[in-house]
Order: sequence, then C-alpha cells, then structure tokens
Amino acid sequence: MSQAITTSALPQSQTQGQAQATKPLNYSVPAGLVDEVHAADGSIKPQWAYLLASLGDLGPQVLQEREEKAQRILRDDGATYNLHGEDVSPSNTWELDAVPYIIGSDDWARIEAGLLERAELFNLLLRDIYGPRTLLRHGALPPEALFSHSGFLRACQGIRMPGDHELILHAADMVRRRDGSMCVLSDRTQAPSGAGYVLENRTVMSRVFPSLYRDSHVHRIASFYQRLRLKLTTLSPSDDLPCIVLLTQGGRDEARFEYAYLANYLGLPLVQSGDLMVRNGFLWMKSMEGLTRVDVVLRRVDDSLCDPVELRSNSRMGVPGLLEVARNGRVVIANPLGSGILENPVLLKYLPEISKALLGREPRLASVKTYWCADEDDLRFVSANIQQLIIKPIYRGSGITSVWGGSLSADQQRNLLATIHRTPHQFVGQERLEKSHIPTFSDMSLQPRPAILRTFSVATDSSYMVMPGGMTRIGDSPGGLAISMQSGSPSKDTWVTATEPERNVESEAIPEALRMHGDASLVSLPSRVVENLYWMGRYAERAEAGLRLLRTVFVQLNGEEPISTEATRILLEAVTRVTGTQPGFIKAPASLLEEPDEELLKVIQDGTRVGSIRSTLNSMLTSAEESKELLSTDTQRVINDLQDELDSLDAALSGGLASAPEEALDPLVTGLVALSGLMQESMVRGVGWRFMELGKRVERAEQIITTLRILTTPVAGEAAKATLLTALLTTMDVLITYRRRARQRPGIALGLELVMLDPSNPRSLLFQLERLQQHLAELPGSESNSGELEEEERALLAAVTRLKLARLAQLLEKETRTTSTMGDLLQEIEKLLLHFNTLISDKHFDHRTEAQQLVATTFGTVS
Amino acid sequence: MRYRVRHITHYKYAARVSHCYNLANVIPRDTGRQRCLKNRITVTPTPSVTHKRTDYFGNKTYHFEIQRPHTELVITADSEVEINDRDLEMNLDLGETYGHALQAMTGTGNRALIDAREFLLNSPMIECSDALADYARPSFRPERTLRSCVHDLTTRIFTDFSYDPGFTTIATPLADVLAHKRGVCQDFAHLQVGCLRSLGIPAKYVSGYIETLPEPGKQKLVGADATHAWVAYFCPEEGWVEFDPTNNTMAGTQHIVTAFGRDYLDVTPVKGVIFGGGSAPILQVSVDVSRVADAWPPAA
Repeated sequence: MSQAITTSALPQSQTQGQAQATKPLNYSVPAGLVDEVHAADGSIKPQWAYLLASLGDLGPQVLQEREEKAQRILRDDGATYNLHGEDVSPSNTWELDAVPYIIGSDDWARIEAGLLERAELFNLLLRDIYGPRTLLRHGALPPEALFSHSGFLRACQGIRMPGDHELILHAADMVRRRDGSMCVLSDRTQAPSGAGYVLENRTVMSRVFPSLYRDSHVHRIASFYQRLRLKLTTLSPSDDLPCIVLLTQGGRDEARFEYAYLANYLGLPLVQSGDLMVRNGFLWMKSMEGLTRVDVVLRRVDDSLCDPVELRSNSRMGVPGLLEVARNGRVVIANPLGSGILENPVLLKYLPEISKALLGREPRLASVKTYWCADEDDLRFVSANIQQLIIKPIYRGSGITSVWGGSLSADQQRNLLATIHRTPHQFVGQERLEKSHIPTFSDMSLQPRPAILRTFSVATDSSYMVMPGGMTRIGDSPGGLAISMQSGSPSKDTWVTATEPERNVESEAIPEALRMHGDASLVSLPSRVVENLYWMGRYAERAEAGLRLLRTVFVQLNGEEPISTEATRILLEAVTRVTGTQPGFIKAPASLLEEPDEELLKVIQDGTRVGSIRSTLNSMLTSAEESKELLSTDTQRVINDLQDELDSLDAALSGGLASAPEEALDPLVTGLVALSGLMQESMVRGVGWRFMELGKRVERAEQIITTLRILTTPVAGEAAKATLLTALLTTMDVLITYRRRARQRPGIALGLELVMLDPSNPRSLLFQLERLQQHLAELPGSESNSGELEEEERALLAAVTRLKLARLAQLLEKETRTTSTMGDLLQEIEKLLLHFNTLISDKHFDHRTEAQQLVATTFGTVS
Repeated sequence: MRYRVRHITHYKYAARVSHCYNLANVIPRDTGRQRCLKNRITVTPTPSVTHKRTDYFGNKTYHFEIQRPHTELVITADSEVEINDRDLEMNLDLGETYGHALQAMTGTGNRALIDAREFLLNSPMIECSDALADYARPSFRPERTLRSCVHDLTTRIFTDFSYDPGFTTIATPLADVLAHKRGVCQDFAHLQVGCLRSLGIPAKYVSGYIETLPEPGKQKLVGADATHAWVAYFCPEEGWVEFDPTNNTMAGTQHIVTAFGRDYLDVTPVKGVIFGGGSAPILQVSVDVSRVADAWPPAA
C-alpha cells in the first residue's frame, strides 16, 4: 500500500484539550449584514445554539482536523467538480465547509409548503405551455414571454408523461432575506444538479461529526432518493422490470462525479448518448448482452441537445430519433424534453398572475423582483437603474452571462443597454438581494458568509416531496455577490433539525423490490464502460511493465560491476521497445548510449510522448474516469494516490538520474500493484472485471514477449549473458525463485522455463494465456451449443499449444540457431495475441459510425 | 381546382448509410383555401418504422427510420389537393390600413391575434433589422391598405432582386441576400418575412409547390420543378394572406401549400440524421404538379 492511504488525522483526544484552552470559537457578525444566527436582541437563535456550543467545545484545532478529514474523504471518494473552461484536470476536489447550515423544523415546514406549491405550479405551467396555452389567452402571460425563449421547444408540443406530473424534478435556488423569509432567485427544471453532492456531503458530515450529527436530530434525506427511484420506476411504459438509465454528457461533464455517485446510489447504469440508440421505434442501450431496451431516461443533458434530428442539429450529445420515441410514449424522459422553458426568468415577473390563473391564489414563496426589458415600463426602469440590477439573458444557453450592472464601467453599461435595446425580449433585470450570512469555518475561526440554498423536489404519486435540506453554497467574503457551482464556491451540508427525534418515514410504502443497491451484476453495462475497463487494465499493466524494466535498467547501469557496451545497448533498447517510445535507443549512436539519462528521463516524464510512463498512466487514469462508477472507494483512493505520485514525479526526479533514480519510481510501482491487488480482491467477478482482466493479461503477455525477445539476444561474454539474464528475471519478478531453484540447475534454460512455461508463476507467458482462456469462457454469450470453437478461442488455443509444445532445451541447443527459433516462436504467439485482441474488440466494443445531417433540400434547381 | 402532385426526393450517397432517422414535410396541409384529399408516401429502402402526425404549426409531418444499409434513399410523395377557385383579383385599395393593423395588433383577447404574435419575433433564420425595415419602409404608409403595402413590397422584391440559383445556399445570411440583391425563392421569402416583421407585421414562411405547366399562352412560373416558397402575413381583420415575391403575385389557385412555419427550419422538406454516407451526397428533387380533370375520380 502506498503511504497516503495510511496517513490519518491525529487522535482527537491529543489536541482537543489544548485547542480549547488556546482559542475559543466565537461567532460575531458585523453590523449591517443580514444575520441568520442571532436574534434581534443579540442572542443566538435556538436552532443554532446546540451547533455553536458543540463547535465551541471542539475548538478550532479539532474543527480544522475534522475539515481536513472531510476533505480527505471527499478526495478519496473522487468527489470533483470540473470547472467550466478547464478541460482535463480531474483533480478539483469538491469543497465542503465543516459548519452545516441549520434550519429549524418549524421554519422548514413553511419553506417546504412553499416549495411543494411551487413545484405543483411549475408542473401545471409546463402542461399548459406544451398543451392548450390558456395562460396566453387569459392574458396571464404575454405570448412573447414564451415564443421568444429558445427553451420553448415546439417539437415537444403535446407530449404527455404518464401519471399526474409532467415535471418530475424541480430545484430552486433561494436566499433568506432580512425579514427572515425565503426568496427564490431561479428555478432549475432541466436537469437539476446537486442532489448527488448533497448525498455525498451528508455522508461525509455524518462520518466526520458522528455525535454532533446524531444529537442534532437531523432529518434524513435518503427517502428523497427512494422517492425518485420509485417515481422513475412508475414512469416506465413497460410491464417488465424497467430499465432506467442516467444519461450524461460524458467525459467533460462538470458534475461527472455526482452523476456517477447518484447512478451508483440509485442502481442505474450511467450512460452517454453514444451508449444509446433508437431502433425500430424504441430506445436501446448497447450493452455487453447486446441491445437492452430502455424504458426511462433520467436526463442530465440539456433538452435542446438531446436529439439532433428534431432539436439542435449540431448536437453531439444527443440520440438521433429520441424525441420521436418519447412522443410515442415508448420511452419516458425525466425531466421531459422541453422543460427548460420553465427556467425562463421572465416567468418570475408573471408568476403571481400565473399562479392565480392555475392555482387560484398567489404563490406563498416569493421570487426575486424581475424586470423584463420587452415591457416598456420595465425597460425604462432597467435603463435608469442598471447600476442596481443584475442583468440576465433569459436563455442560459445564449452564451451571455449575467452581470451586475454596478460592476460595469459607464461604457460597458452603455454597450449592454444598446444590446438590450436591440433585443429587449432576451433580457431581464433583477433586483440584487442581500443574502443572509451563516457561520463558516475559515482561518481557524467562524466567519459570516452569504449563502444560497438549492432545494430539490421530486414528484410522487399525487404530489411532490421536498428533500429536507439541500445544497448550500457560500460566497467567499462577507457581503460577497457571486455564488454558484460554476464559480467554485464551497458547499455546506444543510441540516433541517427536529425538535424531537424523527419518526422513521423512509419505510412507508416502498416495496422491497425498489430498495436501492440492487444486485450489481444484474445491471447491464454499456459497452463503452467495458471497453474503458479493458483499456484501464492494459494501460495499468503497460505502465507497470515499463516501470519494472526501468528500475531494473537503472540498477544494472549504476551497479558496481561495469557492464559491457553491448549489454548496455540491449538493455536500453529493451526500454524503448517495452514502453513503445521508438526510435529512442533503437540503432542509437554510441554517444546516446553513453549518455542515456536525458532520453531515459523523457521516457518517464514526458507526457507529450506516447508510450512514456506519464502518458500511459494518464491514459489509464482517463479510462478509470470513464468507468468511475464501477470502481470501489478503495480503488478510487489508490487511483488518487497514483495521480498524486504522478504529479510529484517531476519533483522526485528533479535531481536527474544521478542517485538511485529507481527510488523515485517505487511509489508508482507500489500504487499499480495495489491497484492490481484491489482488482482481485474487491471487484465483483462481473463482466467489467473480466474485461479488465482480459486487458491486463493481453498486455502482460505482449510485454513478456517483447522483453524475452530482446533480453535473449545472444551476446558475447559470460558477464554480459549474466547481466541480461538477471535483468530479465528481475523485471519478471522471479529472481528469487530462480536463485532458489538454480542450486540444482542453473542457467538460461531454467530462467526461460520460469518466464515462459511455469504455470504456477503469475508472470509467466503460459499463465497469461491460460487466464485469457478462462476469462473468455466466462464472458456472456460464450456458451455456444455447437462444438465448433469461436475464432478467438481458436487463437488462444493455438498460442497455448504452440508454447506448450516448444522444447526449451532444443531452442537453446546452439545459440545462433536457437535464438532465431525462439524469435519464431515468440513472433507466432504475438501474432495470435494480436488477432485475439482484434476479435475481442470487434465483437464487444462499440464501433460507431459518424452521424451527419442529411443535406438540406435545394431550391429552384431547374432541371 | 384540383391538382395531382408528385414530389420525389432522391439522395445518392458516396458511401453506405447503415441506418438513418428522418422527417419529411411533404404532405400538403389543409388551409383556408386548400384541402389535401389524398396522400401516399413511398420510401425506399423500406423503413422499419413510420409515423404520420400533425406538428406544432398544424403541418403534417412524416417520420421514418431505416435500419437497413443503403446507398440511395428515395422519398416519393403523391398527393391530390383541391384549391378554392376564389377570385383573387381583389381590390387592393379595400380593406384594413397598415396604420390600423398596427394598432389592432396591440390588442388582446383575440386568439388568432395572440397566436399571430409568435410570427413577429425573430426566428432561427430570420432576424429583424434596421436594414430590412429601411428597405421595406417606402412601401408602407399608415393610411394605405396593408394589402397594397405588401403587394408593393412584393413587386419591389421581384424587381430589385435577381433570381440566381448559383448565388446562395441554405446558409446564406439574409444580410448578404439584401446586399447582393440575388437569391432563390427561399431567400426572397425569408427576406420578405424579415421586412414584414421588422415593420410590425406578423409573417410566416410558406413552403409548397406551384403548378408545373403554364396555362396556354402564359409563361411557366419560376420554381415550378422544385419545391417552392413564399410568404403569408397576418392582417387582424382579414387573417393570413399569401404573397409570392419570386413570381410577383398573390398566392392563388396555382400555389399548393405543404407547410407553414417561422422560417425554412420549421418546414424543411426532408431532414434527419444518417450514419455513414461519406461526403458530398448527391440530392435530386423533382416536383410534378398537374391539373386533374374536374371529374372525380379522375380517369387513369
């Protein structure tokens, strides 16, 4: 195991006493800021009292340690948030503040009632928008508010969801105002993100503050996810056990961790558009078992991108034909396509009217005051008060970001106003609200920070259910303005605390069959995920082989016995061939062989060079990221460690190769061995595991062949021969076995037997081939009724037979002849392996053809 | 008047298409002045799924999915359409004035009017602009009837712009069409819609066909052998009225409507996604519109 796994926080008892003595945790809020904690008379409100007292008891030192521990757990779980604009950095750990946001249960009851009503309202609104549009006729909503918004997808007219609700998930971002009431800033109705992070935050908090959490009587959030799962199940148009998938954008998705986390928790396969296809009027997932019919899609891709046939034609994240399948009721998409229209901020201006028309009363929950520039009076107001307002485009995908007028120069304000005047329909101005402040742990003390709460509601049979709590985001300074996931603001867990112990509400009316964490092996895997596991196995093995050889070569080159020029050349050539970094040392001039350090360093560190250790490990990490949802927490931890070791590799090698460079590589080798061990010990023997093993065994067999071919090159001189044999045995990790057995029968023949034929050596060639045969037999669809072998079985059988029939003694009889015979044998086996690899890849991996738009019809072509 | 329409869309691909998802707007819709009596669509190769439905705009849309490999796709739509023989030589000087129409447009409560307001707004291919308004303005005076204003604009577009199939593509921006004063029926229709919206008049893009063979002694109309496009504007008192800027005429008995939309993108005759196909597919479109003898059912 690598070091990072074993580090842990200091025992709490050691520091607790001291910390308490040195610095108490006080919390005060400067005058003028909206304060959530203190009552008007300066006393601490009851719901905060217990928390602040408990934190005070812990003291800053302990709180600091707990926060670090929380951060470590988040990192180990792989909780990341990829910020917009940053392409491939997978290492932005989600930030969680140690102090939860507390909401008392009476207070929450009012908020919850408002949210339930709001979800119902938006549901009715959605139904009207894609149905009769009576709101326009009754004058509750100007037609332009609908027609000028790009989120109004005309192709979705008339599509209905089964059951009482069109809107399945509703999220609202809100802040608390000075008078204590909540005010909604915006609604999220496309594919609200954050529910997965909430779950992760809650898990971490309950682990890091077990007694505080237990004694605070926090309302559980698990039932929200059960309700979501249940609702998705009831949406299924098929009578069979429904296949529900979570559709995401894939690799670059900003919230990829959360989707993987949520998919695992809900027991749903995580898919990307390429994993799905429409065929014969239904939606299918390309899985290892062939095509699996999909009944329900939990959507995390914006609706306008979901179908390049009818929606945005340039979308690469869509499934061609999806909308038509949904229209015909053969798949249900949640939230439904078209629901993005509800995010139009213009609706906030007319919400009281809309609510009166649809519910017969004004909404309980207030919305931020919104001015729509298409309204003449509003436009005048916005023009005159732009400094005080936040100017927002009505459509989020418009490429324009919202901006606070006060932050703009006079010129910028003029330009913005000119843009608004050109397209007044496309802009709103919104009041800039003061946000209430809550305590946050920063610089070893409790500091007030402005907060935004995102809440989540899910449709149930007859109504909605609101998650008790939600995602709290905080600004980075008191009075701060910008708070959003995109700007990377830290998060908080949100605790709705009960005055009395909570009744257990989860168990009501949820059939056992719908409990989460179903049998993992029953969930189909998309082909893409399996392919990534295969490559993860291959890259990990390739990196390990390269590292092992490099270590060996370093030891040999720097050993006390000088080695011959010829042996040096062969060793260095082996490095080039095993890593695949040609030309490198192949046919290199003598000068390079005498001064190999620079090239060797490049083979390790140069990420731009295909085949270098860094490049191979990066590929391995990318493949791991693509199949993240299948990796255990421990595996995730080892992968994080590998990432860290890779990051610190340059520092470790900064002194060049002068002194014990093999030391710098040890942590990486250890990490890879740990990874490989975890694959054996903690992965379910499902299809995914089989493919990872296949990848690993194919790669290892190829590496053995390459290494053998080079290190059995005939050389002159016993010393050189011994050097190469030792190098071979060290690289293959069998030197000790060799030495033990060599007492009876030393020599190269024994070495070759160990490396090639010994079925008990997990690094022998025969071992790899036999393992491949076993895994192949276990793959789905391999139970063939006919006695005839499949092509890939044939390839393996031929390789095994050829190897077993080889007579090592004869191969080695005369050096000049034998090595060429050895070469023949290795070449044949390698060819069979390559063939095997191609067959597996063709048969099981997805080779999609590129989709393109049908060329548009031309006009006036006079024939 | 009764017409038989045959509209063939033929794609030849450079490489095999493994499967495809398409939708076609090739079925004449019903309007105030026409009724589609019969329609049959044949697609080769045979689709695995087909579905006919009415879309958001009331057009008839035909969806199909093909799951067998092919290098050619042929969509043949056969329709029979009856068109009112209403006298279209209406007096241009009678009716609602432009000024009155603008005023009426701000009213509420009238369903047709509320629905028409959708066609005042920018759409994916048509953005209102000062340039379009400036071009159109000389035709519009508040005291003049809206009909004669639009007629005048139609004539000016017909006179000022030259019909040039080589100049524009589907993607040519409206500003370029206006600057170079050339294009095809689609461009002229977009241009006129843009002009009308820029001056506060709701306008639709109309896709359809016109009669192939001219009446004896008359010239063949431009755009007769392919799909055609023209415009419809909204007059609060008279409803939707169609004009054809490519032929400088009101849309009459020779104009058969397939679909209405905000612009071309809403009513594209055939669109979709293909898998494979290589580059530069060849597209051939042929349209044949012939009169059916008044007797029904017609002979042969």
